[in-house]
Amino acid sequence: MPPSADPEEVGGDRRRLIGLIVGAVVAALIVALLVVGLVNRGTSTAIDDALEAGSRPPAPALTLPVLVSGPGLPPVGEDASLSDLKGKVVVLNLWASWCEPCKEESPVLEQLWRANREKGVVVLGVDIQDLSSDARAFIEEYGLTYPSLRDGSDDAKSALEATGVPETYIIDQKGRIALHIAGPVTSPAQLQGPIDQVLAEK
Amino acid sequence: MGRRLTAGIAVLLAVLAMAVPALSLTVNEVAREVRCPTCNTPLDVSNSPAADRMKIFIADRISKGDDKQEIIDALVVEFGRGVLATPPKSGFDLLAWIVPIVLVVGGLAAIPFVTRAWARRRADEPVPEIAPEDAARLDEELRRRDP
Repeated sequence: MPPSADPEEVGGDRRRLIGLIVGAVVAALIVALLVVGLVNRGTSTAIDDALEAGSRPPAPALTLPVLVSGPGLPPVGEDASLSDLKGKVVVLNLWASWCEPCKEESPVLEQLWRANREKGVVVLGVDIQDLSSDARAFIEEYGLTYPSLRDGSDDAKSALEATGVPETYIIDQKGRIALHIAGPVTSPAQLQGPIDQVLAEK
Repeated sequence: MGRRLTAGIAVLLAVLAMAVPALSLTVNEVAREVRCPTCNTPLDVSNSPAADRMKIFIADRISKGDDKQEIIDALVVEFGRGVLATPPKSGFDLLAWIVPIVLVVGGLAAIPFVTRAWARRRADEPVPEIAPEDAARLDEELRRRDP
């Protein structure tokens, strides 16, 4: 007759096993949280990688309040979506009132807006990391007439994988990103060629 | 009676001498409650251009008579709840405060159980048999020590 197992010992083994499983699950959760945190810390470069590979990644679905309205956009204070501008070529510019290069760049963008708005092009500013009163003062000071949205929570910056301001994107009529420029646009010629090329694809 | 009164006056004078007029709300007091959106550090230790603008905003609201919470609320309207340096103690964010406390208390509460389990396991371990030559040597030592 085989010796029967001590019930106390069996219970102890079971408790030890449960403890081990619980410990392992907690440790796995902590490691998973750390990994997620580390991955989210680094800025993704999927947009730039796709552009470099010769493809056009879809522009993110952004919904932000209007700071300065324009054609195809709701009035000031209401939410506008990037999809509202589908069918137009969008020159999306991330900016902030405290950003020194933005001060040099805004007249260039205004020039591009005035030269191209009748052709189905929208220059769209997205003010980020900024106080709305400062943003409005900046628009007034530089006499900007192109529409702008306001992004107080960095949604656009994260979705567009931007690292700072200013950054500019050309979005084609199908809502795909065709060009990304990190840093200021210093002359209209820098964007006019790509705009004409995307317009010709209609 | 006279001595007690003198002592009372002395204590009162000492308290009055220690009292320093309290400063009204300062920019730093508000700034340490929020973070700089461009550098992710507390606003009071940040000197980025965006942080400088936010400090001017805070100073302006203080001069208009707003209290600390009103100014923080205004910054949340501008930048969202992510601007807060610490998560609010309400709703889902309350978890960020509760979970660490629960983990620490749970860990402390588990210590007696774990140590008791370890002690029991050690007590259950069989005592190793002593080799005959060691037993003889031990007996010899004990006999010599305690004849």
